[in-house]
Amino acid sequence: MTFSGGAFERARRCLHGGCMSAAFFGRTMCISGKRAGRLAVGLLAVLVLLVVLGLPERALAHAALVKTDPVDGAVLAQGPSQFSLTFSEPVSPLVLTLVRPDGTSVALTSFRLSDQTVAIDNPQKLKSGTHVLSWRVISTDGHPVGGSVLFSIGAPSTPPVAAEPVDWDLRSAIWLGKVFLYIGLFLGVGGAFALAWLAESGRCGRRFVIAALLAGLVAAPVSLGLQGLDALGASLAGLAQPVVWRTAFGTSFGWTVLIGLMALGLALLSLAGPRIGAKTFALAGLAGVGAALTASGHASAAEPQWLTRPMVFLHGVGIAFWAGALAPLGLAVRWQSGEAGPFLRRFSRAILPVVAVLAAAGIVLAVIQVQTPAALVNTGYGRLLLVKLVLLLFLFTLATVNRWTLTAPAEAGATEVQRRLVRSIGAEVLIVLAIFAVAAGWRFTPPPRALAIAAAQPASVHIHTLKAMADLSITPGHAGPVIASMVIMTGDFGPLDAKQVTLVLSKPDSGIEPIKRPATKPGDGSWRVDDLVIPVPGRWTARLDILVSDFEMVKIEAPIDIRAE
Amino acid sequence: MNKYLLSAGALFIGTSAAFAHITLETQEAPVGSTYKAVLRVPHGCEGKATTAVRVQIPEGVISVKPMPNPGWTLQTKQGRYEKSYQLYGEAVTSGVKEVDWSGGSLPDEFYDEFVFRGTLAADLPAGETLYFPVVQECEGAAERWIEIPAAGQDEDALENPAPGLKLLPKK
Repeated sequence: MTFSGGAFERARRCLHGGCMSAAFFGRTMCISGKRAGRLAVGLLAVLVLLVVLGLPERALAHAALVKTDPVDGAVLAQGPSQFSLTFSEPVSPLVLTLVRPDGTSVALTSFRLSDQTVAIDNPQKLKSGTHVLSWRVISTDGHPVGGSVLFSIGAPSTPPVAAEPVDWDLRSAIWLGKVFLYIGLFLGVGGAFALAWLAESGRCGRRFVIAALLAGLVAAPVSLGLQGLDALGASLAGLAQPVVWRTAFGTSFGWTVLIGLMALGLALLSLAGPRIGAKTFALAGLAGVGAALTASGHASAAEPQWLTRPMVFLHGVGIAFWAGALAPLGLAVRWQSGEAGPFLRRFSRAILPVVAVLAAAGIVLAVIQVQTPAALVNTGYGRLLLVKLVLLLFLFTLATVNRWTLTAPAEAGATEVQRRLVRSIGAEVLIVLAIFAVAAGWRFTPPPRALAIAAAQPASVHIHTLKAMADLSITPGHAGPVIASMVIMTGDFGPLDAKQVTLVLSKPDSGIEPIKRPATKPGDGSWRVDDLVIPVPGRWTARLDILVSDFEMVKIEAPIDIRAE
Repeated sequence: MNKYLLSAGALFIGTSAAFAHITLETQEAPVGSTYKAVLRVPHGCEGKATTAVRVQIPEGVISVKPMPNPGWTLQTKQGRYEKSYQLYGEAVTSGVKEVDWSGGSLPDEFYDEFVFRGTLAADLPAGETLYFPVVQECEGAAERWIEIPAAGQDEDALENPAPGLKLLPKK
């Protein structure tokens, strides 16, 4: 079906709110579009299900701290010449501070990056007492993460305060910015694409799409500034500082915003610019949405990169294609405009392969990020996903009602039922918005993948005495079944061919008797204990009984921190 | 509940372990005298019969002669002392460093004693404690009574203390 001049006229009137009357011509167009509409609604429901199942790749924060030197809680004879922090993925430091026992702090500005390790120079001689190495870094996914390492010189003292209170104002602002950025990219750019390609420059929904684009154009730079604030640990009041913006541009989220702005601009151009270039601009904008999402986010940072980045791209483009078309489509059906018919037909033809790609990409990313079904319940990230599943349930119910009770009467021309169908599409748009809101919440919860990397890290301790020394690591370093591995040496780093090594773990304050296990020699020069279960987390005392000769036993011990998870 | 059971069990095991220590019958002797060491073996290893008892002779205990036990093979390991000792006007530079009674079987429910005699060198520091580390071997298990308390450490805190002899001033 092609557009006649009448259809164009109708479409223009639609823009001015004048196409509500069911003129004969428009009516034929709209009726022919209804079957496609029903199909589309059903497809959309399926699509949303798949999107909900597959979405957990954006947001996602936090590289995990894997190893520190000195280790947290260490007691050292004298201050180290440098500190090092090793993360689960490459990071760049934002703020590194050493808080001294008297509570004063000094900024650590001299550091080097190698791979996933940050080596920080210690500029001064440390006095005795407990120090806090406070760090804030930004990972390749563009999200800042912070924490602190406590260590003591000589003997522990009362730790100086280095708390990181949550800035709820900033968090709310970041969340809101993210939601509006999604609205701009998915509903705005996606909507412009739908208008240019599926509605053949239709007018219904144009104002809505332009509003979404403008929202995105405002939200993108604001989000960037907020990202800078969050990265530096500054409050909303510091938004005007240049360093905040420089910091933000230095993160991968800077790229997301730049590409996102380009996509929004292209989409706007496709609507407001010359008709000739509309399709090209809209297509470039749609690709820009995918590229913007690929530039940052934890899914893009996840390994293997050759897989995750293209998947994020396809997923983002798919969401924009589908969610963007929803509002213009609903409005076209509502006003029974002439463009509704072909719009629905093109949409329903194109949506199937889009669903397939979108779903496949989503499932791949979900598997990489969530890893285990249990993580759905155990992690904040998984619980957000479950909330989305509930939203999906509503969406699915709506679609079912549309299909089985509204469709037939609507097809028969019942105006009231048609209105209900349109209202139903409107409700679906609202649910989609709610899903964006939930997805924006992922900005604050690390995905199970990152949590798993952190949880799998061993707890390690180096024990050094005059007679013997040992490197003990317990993997994973949390309560539960673990494997202990030990490398034994003499006090002066020479080889120590022990006849027997026994690991004794005790935690007197827990009321649990010492756990004593003989170690075996797997043949690589180390000793290990396999059948070990650590019942409770906390600070344990690890003792190694090393039988040096038949009649000589050396016992060395040190505290080791076992995490809860 | 389980925790109490565990603690009670641990207490029981702890006590029995204390009773099962291998100790010397005479725990004090003056330096420069002849000392008859009687190693008392009250238990096997975790219920298993004892099959060997080996004792390391500390520096300063010279001219050691062990007493054979019927049913046990008696062996000694000789070695050089760290320095030369005077015994009845003669210099002694080497002698027994380890005594092994092996090849026997002492069931857990029986008691036995293993005896040797030696001379406590006159220049041993009076007031201090000399330790005789003992390895008790059983069928497929071993107990090592070889722990020597560090300076200031309570001997009772050790799980497997070596039998000790307090040195008294020369008579």
